[in-house]
Amino acid sequence: MTGNPPPDEVLGIEDLTITVHDGAAAAVRGISLSVHTGEIVGMVGESGSGKTLTCRAALGVLPKGCEIEQGTISFERQDVTQLSSRGWQRLHGTGIGAVFQDPSSYLNPSLTVGSQLTEVLRVKQGLGRREAHRKAIELFTDVGLRQPDRVFHQIPAELSGGMLQRVMIAIAISCGPRLLIADEATTALDVTIQAEIIELLRDLRDQRGLAVLFVSHDLAVIRELCDRVVVFYAGEVVESGPVEEIIERPRHPYTQALLQVASVGDFSRRELRVIPGQPPQVGAAITGCRFAARCPAAIDVCRSAPIDLVRLAPGHQSRCVRANDPELADALETELAAR
Amino acid sequence: MSAPLTDVTDATVAPGARPLLSVEHVDVVLGRGWRANHVLSDVNLAIWPGEIVGLVGETGSGKTTLARTVVGLVRPKHGRVVYDGSQTSGLRGGALRRERRQGHVQLVFQDPLRSLDPDLTVGQIVGEGLRIRGGLDGAEIEAKVTEALRLVGLDATLLSRTPGQISGGQRQRVSIARALAADPGLLFCDEPVSALDASNRNYILRLLGDLRDSLNLPIVIISHDLSSLAGIADRVVVLYRGRIVEDGPVDQVFAAPKHPYTALLMASAPSVKHDQPLSVHQLRRTTADPDLGPDLTAASACVFAARCPFAIDACAVQPRLEPVAEAGGGHWSAACHRREEWPALARERGTVAAPR
Repeated sequence: MTGNPPPDEVLGIEDLTITVHDGAAAAVRGISLSVHTGEIVGMVGESGSGKTLTCRAALGVLPKGCEIEQGTISFERQDVTQLSSRGWQRLHGTGIGAVFQDPSSYLNPSLTVGSQLTEVLRVKQGLGRREAHRKAIELFTDVGLRQPDRVFHQIPAELSGGMLQRVMIAIAISCGPRLLIADEATTALDVTIQAEIIELLRDLRDQRGLAVLFVSHDLAVIRELCDRVVVFYAGEVVESGPVEEIIERPRHPYTQALLQVASVGDFSRRELRVIPGQPPQVGAAITGCRFAARCPAAIDVCRSAPIDLVRLAPGHQSRCVRANDPELADALETELAAR
Repeated sequence: MSAPLTDVTDATVAPGARPLLSVEHVDVVLGRGWRANHVLSDVNLAIWPGEIVGLVGETGSGKTTLARTVVGLVRPKHGRVVYDGSQTSGLRGGALRRERRQGHVQLVFQDPLRSLDPDLTVGQIVGEGLRIRGGLDGAEIEAKVTEALRLVGLDATLLSRTPGQISGGQRQRVSIARALAADPGLLFCDEPVSALDASNRNYILRLLGDLRDSLNLPIVIISHDLSSLAGIADRVVVLYRGRIVEDGPVDQVFAAPKHPYTALLMASAPSVKHDQPLSVHQLRRTTADPDLGPDLTAASACVFAARCPFAIDACAVQPRLEPVAEAGGGHWSAACHRREEWPALARERGTVAAPR
């Protein structure tokens, strides 16, 4: 991530470190990633790997006690790291939209979904009542809600999870943001609905040139949707690159392990794999590779010094000392077969 | 994909054997009057000793209601639930209390953070049912609690922690230990893995597989992750809007599903590979499909007709769950009028499908 950023960079995160518990420990360390116009970037990792914290930093809504200790966040190449809360408010909706896991907990249960969308349009864009209504119906149609006129007057409890997530997406894109952050936006949905929402996000990218940062713990979902993927482990980026390449030729043992446990789309009886051990606690003092304790291919070098991200191919990086070691693949293969 | 014929489990062929649990013609209606909601219609399900059954279907299909009916938390309007030869549905008063204390069928709930009392310790949670049932002294309860935790691979050092102090995967294991402490004859797990990440999900499923092997405990797993169910289940039951639309051995059903909804579920499952025989576009209705007549959207029509691209006039009548010709020795049935025709029709629809 050096040199001049390409002109169409929408979100740029550079060497970001976030501390939690009032500076007691770093939950995210030295993260760099970027999202460009018309691109869907996936973030994948286990629970607690720092995906959501990074998203919240990019939205300017870090929880209490969390602070950006180091690094910069830029939106359309403007530094927003030290932005005031007024500044963030201006950016929310018009610059960055967000969708989360559980739509029903983000909507007011006693207001119609239509009024919750027109409220945004009227406050953010100053539209009149009639104009906002017209725009709302248009947005509901765009996100694939059938009978938008009817949905407009319904309250959240009357809609299914998939429909609510479409409403959330309509609200998120209502003011024409250039970036959409989707944090586990499909995790709570049924597979059939999940497939539909994935298609919707892809269509929105194609039609509006939206940049999307998509968070999931399942590589299979990332594979269906994203162009590039960033793999998180214990608050660090351990591998990043084009999705196809990472799925075909993962160069970090953790990514390989994630692939082993992902929904492989295999409908036959087989041994279900697990990644043995637990990720380290936030703030654990580890000198070398943070995955070494669970890694089947760890050698002494892995534990002695911090590991740098190694550039393997254009846009493909891995934080593994053995990333270029031809014996790594063999070592992992034998280990995994033995489990 | 080749379709090896299933090894029929011993349980299904043993002469004169009866299922451990049978749900017979169960109708469940929740609410009354204009609010009445037909949640389950004519559901028939048999669980045999030692088998793992995957129950799949989308939100609102009645999976959870079926689980609640089996343990007696919901009273069926018609039909009955029989456990090991004796009817357990429709009991009242003392008989109901006695049946409940037996704890024959244990439920494991979806979200352990919400289903476990945050103020109790792990030891109290797992032992609570035993204390209520009575008949055991403190030391015996403690021994059973430790044994239940050992079965799910948890260390006794967790006994004094509260649910908030352990990880998500551990919490779900505590839920399973709580169910096991009651010495159940059948475990009913309601989406035990949907709140977990991929590694923990596989861990829990493997654990359930091990429990079946070591205790010969039949287990029903409600899930919408078909791919991982295929890894451990023997049989799969597909529920759609309160009706069972397909029920059969996992490998046969997933090799060549007989109901278009089963095929849609499979095609929708995210995957790191792209070798699905049919894509979702071939199985979904599109604007190009002719509009459905009023007959096909009526309450008496096939439950899936409104979403089915292959619906014809005959589908105005709900099809019965009938045995599939290729079933071989196993039990395999599907409820679709066009079960023989639709796979070929779906393949023809392929030409207009969007790439990837």
